[in-house]
Amino acid sequence: MANPKIKPEIKTESVVAPAPKWNVVVLNDPINFTGYVVVAFVSVLRISNGEAKRLMRQVHEDGRATVWTGERERAELLALELQQWHLSAVLEADA
Amino acid sequence: MPELRLSMTAEARTVLTDLLRLIAPAAARVSVNRAGIPDNDAEVAAFWTDTLTAQAAEEARLLATAFANAKGDPAVILLRNEAQACAFLRALSAVRMALRDLVFADIPDAELEAAAELDDEQMPTEKRHALACYTCFGLLQQSLVLQLDPEAFD
Repeated sequence: MANPKIKPEIKTESVVAPAPKWNVVVLNDPINFTGYVVVAFVSVLRISNGEAKRLMRQVHEDGRATVWTGERERAELLALELQQWHLSAVLEADA
Repeated sequence: MPELRLSMTAEARTVLTDLLRLIAPAAARVSVNRAGIPDNDAEVAAFWTDTLTAQAAEEARLLATAFANAKGDPAVILLRNEAQACAFLRALSAVRMALRDLVFADIPDAELEAAAELDDEQMPTEKRHALACYTCFGLLQQSLVLQLDPEAFD
């Protein structure tokens, strides 16, 4: 019996998508003083005093501020460090 | 950086030390409960819980030792460097968080933000006492922040 040979046609396609980004969001709280929050931001995020003050004001006035955006593992680490300063830090997937 | 100093009256030291003995054991639970621990990864959640619990125990030890060693009148707490000062700042924040959750849970955020202006006349004695301590811990924090970074406050 004839054995027909069928050569399968294989197509490959590479799909490269950037890794999803995560936001570290700090929520306002009634306990920590503004100056304390600035010191915490400078220490954890390694940013200037001026930038820390800008973020602190945003937290205070808007109730929340995204203080860092990037890959998940680093975001988790920063959120934990902010929690260790007793700030209300949460992780959110970047929209 | 030169050493940083926090001073208080001997009476304040005694009162704050007594309150710390009561509140410190609960601080770890409060710290973990308040943290927005990611719930979609068990390994990460366990790491966060362990880290925050261990830190709370360390903070309780730090405060107990610092207040116990603050002799004289005024009683002075000496912090040798920035790392020690930051650890002390965080420990004071933990105590204030614990007081907020365990003693002042019924006080709205907006009122607690201006705790010094709260009308405490109607409060039970223990709560009024705790509020005075909460304010004192805050004053110690502010003094430390001003020594660490005079420009931190607006």
